Amino acid sequence: MNPARLALEGTGTLVRFALRRDRIRLPVWIAVAAALVAEQSAGSQAIYDTPAALAAYRATVGASAAAIAFAGPPVGLTSVAGAVAFEISGSVMIVAALMAMFTTGRHSRADEEAGRTELVRSTEAGRHAPLAAAVAVSALGCVATAVAIGAVGTLTGLPAPGSFLLGAGVGACGLVFTGVTAVAAQLSGSTRAAYGLTGAVLGVAFLLRAVGDIEGSGLVWASPIGWAQAVHPFSDDRWWPLLLCVAALGILLVVSVRLLDHRDLGAGLLSGRPGAPAAGRLLATPLGLAVRLQRAALLGWAVSLVVLGAVYGSMGDTVESLFQDNPAAQAFLPGASGAGLVEAYLATIFSIDALLAAAFAVSSVLRARAEESAGRVEPVLAAATSRSAWLRSHVTVALLGSALLVVASGGATAAVRAASSGNAGSFGRLFAASLAYVPAVWALAGVAVAAVGVVPRAAAAVAWGTVGYVVVVSVFAPGLNWPRWVGDLSPFSWTPLVPVESWTTAAAAGLAAAVMALLAIGFGAFGRRDLTTG
Amino acid sequence: MSAAIAVSGLVKTFGATRALDGLDLEVTDGEVHGFLGPNGSGKSTTIRVLLGLLRPDSGSVRLLGGDPWHDAVALHRRLAYVPGDVTLWPQITGGEAIDLLGRLRGGLDPARRTELLERFDLDPTKKARSYSKGNRQKVALVAALASDVELLILDEPTSGLDPLMEAVFQEYIREIRDAGRTVLLSSHILAEAEALCDRVSIIRHGRTVQTGSLDELRHLTRTAISVETARPVTGLDGLPGVHDVAARDGRLRFDVDSDRLDDVLRHLTTFGVRALRSAPPTLEELFLRHYGDELAEDGVPVPAMTLSRPGRP
Repeated sequence: MNPARLALEGTGTLVRFALRRDRIRLPVWIAVAAALVAEQSAGSQAIYDTPAALAAYRATVGASAAAIAFAGPPVGLTSVAGAVAFEISGSVMIVAALMAMFTTGRHSRADEEAGRTELVRSTEAGRHAPLAAAVAVSALGCVATAVAIGAVGTLTGLPAPGSFLLGAGVGACGLVFTGVTAVAAQLSGSTRAAYGLTGAVLGVAFLLRAVGDIEGSGLVWASPIGWAQAVHPFSDDRWWPLLLCVAALGILLVVSVRLLDHRDLGAGLLSGRPGAPAAGRLLATPLGLAVRLQRAALLGWAVSLVVLGAVYGSMGDTVESLFQDNPAAQAFLPGASGAGLVEAYLATIFSIDALLAAAFAVSSVLRARAEESAGRVEPVLAAATSRSAWLRSHVTVALLGSALLVVASGGATAAVRAASSGNAGSFGRLFAASLAYVPAVWALAGVAVAAVGVVPRAAAAVAWGTVGYVVVVSVFAPGLNWPRWVGDLSPFSWTPLVPVESWTTAAAAGLAAAVMALLAIGFGAFGRRDLTTG
Repeated sequence: MSAAIAVSGLVKTFGATRALDGLDLEVTDGEVHGFLGPNGSGKSTTIRVLLGLLRPDSGSVRLLGGDPWHDAVALHRRLAYVPGDVTLWPQITGGEAIDLLGRLRGGLDPARRTELLERFDLDPTKKARSYSKGNRQKVALVAALASDVELLILDEPTSGLDPLMEAVFQEYIREIRDAGRTVLLSSHILAEAEALCDRVSIIRHGRTVQTGSLDELRHLTRTAISVETARPVTGLDGLPGVHDVAARDGRLRFDVDSDRLDDVLRHLTTFGVRALRSAPPTLEELFLRHYGDELAEDGVPVPAMTLSRPGRP
């Protein structure tokens, strides 16, 4: 047999095994992606049921830089189906990219880090088999997502060809990030770092297409999400941009295999320097340890959010010109001014930044649970550290870190907006407005703390489920026909949309009380329960 | 002498599993106490209760005069712990982890830290993710041995260490015992326990089945005798406490309950003893005595050594 075939020996067995391990996870990812499309399809068809409603929608969306920044290119809006694709494609593509990242990473670097790959490779499995299996499982997930989206689109009454093209775009985006993760898993020596690298690529890809779509420039072609959205389902129905995604996957796979061939098992290409022989002053307390464990992640988030904040702040002028160049929008929004739209745009930006900060806060609180689960908390608690001091250390990093992220991204947006509008005095007001979201961010961290205390094994599912719910309610619910109470459960709904609405002490006090109660529940339960590993 | 550890009637259940079922354990100040049992017998669960990581369902537990659940922080300043399976933070070096654990415990002796790193041949600049199991174990051992504490709780501390490092470990434990400090050494390496321990407790299915000094335990079991006499021995079978008599090559071999030794020797001397060898039971034999039935159930060919004695001499 030729060497390439030998290197792939055993891939089929590993694929079947990986599919068994992911028999819950993968269907959940696919169901989430399909459900988002189904819900959007049903919701949009109910809301834009008349040509007039659709025309109004077209006008306001065409003038909304915020909508374009988060959704995609404003094309195909002459039909309801096109509106569905515009609203949902960006979000579902991020879901697909994350599914691809976690699936590929879990079966490649994570297995290698845990030592399972060593065991597998000691059998007849070839050198490339574990990576090939990880890629194959992720790719199967992407294809299944594409088919599921096509099916639910068709079943909810959208044209079949466009539905399957939308699905294919989403799947193709997932394929590119399968390749990106495969390369990242070779470069970095840990799963966490591989996800960080892939997440950074995803962030940059999203930002490039956002700027490109708002400016209507060619910058979208620098982003794989831009390629996937360039299929323009339900309007131009182009298939050829998918070839770019497939070609990118091919190139990334060749690179990843080359990298794999040039490294030792267990090693990364970016790690391996010796470290400090003795601990610095920081590593002396539980808080110092928590800071040390989380500082790399916090730094990555901070840089990303500052860049995001600055880029979105710089788009303020475009918001005004989009509105002024759009007579239809002016007709539908009488009394609206360019300046008012900028404020509305900034309010949306601040809430999205806050959602990202909340994601950091939750992952940071869950770090405590990960430490417990891996057994690393035992030596710390077997030393003279109380349980509450240990949990407090991670919660402190989560609360102060997420507040820092809100401050940094809000500050960047406000500073860039103040500079580009020539109104230096607006900085203080905008910056203060961005801080209004801190209590809501902390409320999500509080949910995670309570979950770690009360239901440790389900903590990650509960906490991320809550974040997912808040994201759906904040981003999609305004365009859907959901009962009011569904949205009212979200702490982000309690927060006024500053700077458009004004900040209220009552809302902040209510959220602060909720945060205190959740922390008390979490700390109380953690102090009374057994430690659980695994 | 007061008790560093006093556990009685300790019960801990996990769902339907009864991990500890009325366990008793008493460790006196200044002794090295062996805590023996196979995997799954409840050693680690007991230790995690002693460290306040698990909450007992019932029974009384005293550690250094305090309650391990409520007084955890104050007590932990006075003890050091080495787990059997050390997990470290992948991105933190061994040297950093040693300092961190030492500082969290209230400080460690830098000179002793340097000496221990050298004796255990550990590179402190490596990130924990690149350490082997043995090296991770050394990190926890150095951190514990470099701390000036009254009590060391060691849960299979030498798993993964090579024989050279095992010897270094034993040397340090003897030094600690000579300094009057207390050690609880959980182990299933019986040679290690035999070499180090003043007293041992053997546990099974979450219960203590035997506890005492090695001499006391030996007394409860049988000694193997091999004797050569001038005249053929008669009447041995009829003596109480004598088992498995066999004659071969002019020698007589048998086991005798240790508390019947005196009577049996008196009887033998009447036949003109020419040569005599006696072997006390090893800890392994003591241990297997409590587990022999389990091995037999599993179809493992069990040794004569468990229930009756092998002709060792």
